[in-house]
Amino acid sequence: MGDYVWFHDVSWHASYAVYFFVIGILAGLSFMSYGSWITPALRPLREKAAYGSIALLALGGVLLIADLSQPLRFLNILNPGYLNFSSPLAWGALNIVAFGICSVLYILALRKGDETRGKLLALVTALLALGLPVYTGFDLTVHQSRPVWNSPIIPVLFVAMAIASGSAVGSLLAMGNEEAQKVLRQYMLWSAGAVAVMLVSVMGTTNYGGSAAELTFMIMTTGTMGLLFIGVGFLAGSVAPAVLLFAPMGKSQAVLMVSALLILVGGAALRYVLLMAPQQLQTLF
Amino acid sequence: MSEELRVSPIETRGVAGKRRFAMVVDTRRCIGCMACQVACKAEYDTPLGVNRTWVPYKVVGKYPTVKKQFLPRLCNHCDDAPCVRNCPVDATFKVEDGGFILQRYERCIGCRSCMAACPYNARFMLPSHRSYTPITNVVDKCTFCFHRVTQNLVPACVQTCIGRARVFGDINDPKSEVSYLVATNSTQVLRPEEGTKPHVFYIGADRNATEFGRDAYRQPEVMELERSAFKRNFKI
Repeated sequence: MGDYVWFHDVSWHASYAVYFFVIGILAGLSFMSYGSWITPALRPLREKAAYGSIALLALGGVLLIADLSQPLRFLNILNPGYLNFSSPLAWGALNIVAFGICSVLYILALRKGDETRGKLLALVTALLALGLPVYTGFDLTVHQSRPVWNSPIIPVLFVAMAIASGSAVGSLLAMGNEEAQKVLRQYMLWSAGAVAVMLVSVMGTTNYGGSAAELTFMIMTTGTMGLLFIGVGFLAGSVAPAVLLFAPMGKSQAVLMVSALLILVGGAALRYVLLMAPQQLQTLF
Repeated sequence: MSEELRVSPIETRGVAGKRRFAMVVDTRRCIGCMACQVACKAEYDTPLGVNRTWVPYKVVGKYPTVKKQFLPRLCNHCDDAPCVRNCPVDATFKVEDGGFILQRYERCIGCRSCMAACPYNARFMLPSHRSYTPITNVVDKCTFCFHRVTQNLVPACVQTCIGRARVFGDINDPKSEVSYLVATNSTQVLRPEEGTKPHVFYIGADRNATEFGRDAYRQPEVMELERSAFKRNFKI
């Protein structure tokens, strides 16, 4: 009683969580577009996923720049004289730019119908897309004072969430195409399952951590954050779709659509809580 | 293992020929007058709602023997500063001679990565409107009064502290008061487990006051007044 704790604002606000969500979906869509060259069943998704991916990149870029308190200085991050390569943000900026350029070239190749170049560019774009959730994960991981963030599993979790969100959007885009849905069901099932397993691991290590980790666990599992993390993110967004898709009825179109929507809603909630909860604790120090 | 082997290349403390400024805060002498905070505000025109230095307190003991335990806080000017590592544009940097962690305002993009990286909450975003100073919308922090120290003056907070709770100097100089205090008293730094090698040393700080407080977690309404005032004034 009687403690006077100074108020500190969180560093990154909810717009950053929206950015994570958008980046996850666009990376996933990019994987789907490349997948269409390997798996013929995904062929109907090739152009749709490529266009969707670049549209989301534009949205993500605007979100990221608008989130800066000096938006016009975003070019500083591309200035070789300023770049600090010990920061994941610097790598991320280069990755985003490279991804944007390759995506445009890929779309041009698709429009020209150049199959050889298209396949190669799809591969390069997908590899660069892999860097997007990885860099956003590292963006959090490098903060050694934040429980949950400072864990090697976060970049891997972000990749799994990107595959889940991307295949969920892919499933909505390929509505009615049974061959594509069969493949996307597998993607959603295993990525949602992987996300659920990793979340259990995150919760376990956080609960068994030091005093800061313990308090972060309390924030993440109680109140509104608890509802979002456990209820929406973990149960509704990861466990429920995995169970639904694994069940015999999981092949029906309706279940696929419901699972895709649950994965998307859950993915948004998870990214919000993973971003905000460790920051909420820090404001009290 | 010898002391020499434990010094990493990034460290400036204990390195011969290099200056390393540090602050010792003797919490036994702090009376919580907040003069340090006011002096800092006056020196830098720090806006309302944010501070380069601040003095939180905790009431300890049981009635009638209760007291307020103050813990003056500021940037710890770490040797291995996470904010320096995390700034994507090198806007935050370490001055080799002295170990100051400073900010290039004209380069800062306002990504707040340094704020997220700092384990001590020592960084803050400047609002978009200020009365006298044109520096806005960038991250700011304590500079150990670099401009004063380079003129052979002590930081404003140290200058004004009536209890001499704050002592500043070159910890690499064995004749300085800070190195004497650190050598002859048991001191602690904040959150040593983070490996940041902070250079603000506390004498007499209670471990209970330097850890995350459970009471703080349980009483969000205590801060609601400040939180709402902050949100009203800071459109960030």
